[in-house]
Amino acid sequence: MRNWDSSTIFKQILVLVLVSAALGFGRAYLVPGGIEAVGKWRSLSGGDGPIIPPAADEGDPPFIDINVAQMEHSTGRTIFIDAREPDEFECATIPGSINIPFEQLPEDDLEGYLNDALNGTPKDVSIVIFCSGEECDLSLHLARNMQFLGYTRVMIFFGGSREWVKFGLEVERRRNCDE
Amino acid sequence: MRRVIDNNLLTMLVRLAVGITFICASYYKVVDPGAFAKSIWFYHLVPGSLINIIAIVLPWVEMICGLGIIFGFSYRGSVVVANVMMLVFIFALGSAIVRGISLDCGCFKAAASSTNSAWKTLWFDLVLMLLALQLLFSRSRRWFLTRL
Repeated sequence: MRNWDSSTIFKQILVLVLVSAALGFGRAYLVPGGIEAVGKWRSLSGGDGPIIPPAADEGDPPFIDINVAQMEHSTGRTIFIDAREPDEFECATIPGSINIPFEQLPEDDLEGYLNDALNGTPKDVSIVIFCSGEECDLSLHLARNMQFLGYTRVMIFFGGSREWVKFGLEVERRRNCDE
Repeated sequence: MRRVIDNNLLTMLVRLAVGITFICASYYKVVDPGAFAKSIWFYHLVPGSLINIIAIVLPWVEMICGLGIIFGFSYRGSVVVANVMMLVFIFALGSAIVRGISLDCGCFKAAASSTNSAWKTLWFDLVLMLLALQLLFSRSRRWFLTRL
């Protein structure tokens, strides 16, 4: 550090930051694919932590809140499973979700059924299971089954589709259910 | 010890290692600032209004720092900024791991979900921080484009 005078360092850092800002904002506004200076990022204080149902037991898969659910969804690698009936799933669900209705699970060879439904996805892939919201415990039951069958990274988004919609996040509609 | 730290060849090798790492790390962020902004959001550390500004400016700081360290221009400022950035990255990554946030660091590629990856990157960052510290304390002044 000998002979490193602070005013020289300060000037160099200032120039470095200014040149970077000029290049960055130039890239953002002049080249296609850039982003705006102020993005629309949802405040992380909006969630009140994960909703955990009274029926939850120690050893259940982890419950996640809306922030983590959105984060997992944004990765594009986490599988989202809607545990509701197909008619509810088709009306509105979290985009990209797979429908595995808990009420329709077979009694025999559940492992093979899930394996087929998930196209042979390895059991260590991140999976988020949800249903309608607080009054619905299908996600909890499906998650317990999957955990029992060896799926190691199962999470439960107990706020479900209702909380997803409440926070203004995009939903996927396979049919119009408004009429 | 002093002689090792000041060794010209060692310092040049460390400059290359740190500089190339910074340039490589900045590349995807410069190309896809939107994905990098998402990575920053994942850390849950920065107010939403600052995320895009950081995503726009920081990659270029990394890239220019990397070039400055390799070629030896604005060298002192670049080395100081590199050390500060390493501290910030290590703090952010460590805090995310402690809080149980599942993430990839967003250091070299678009965001993904993996706590294992976060641990690996934390170790990598710690090693890189050591190298950056060597540059901070080395008095070697060989192979520089400019005198300062």
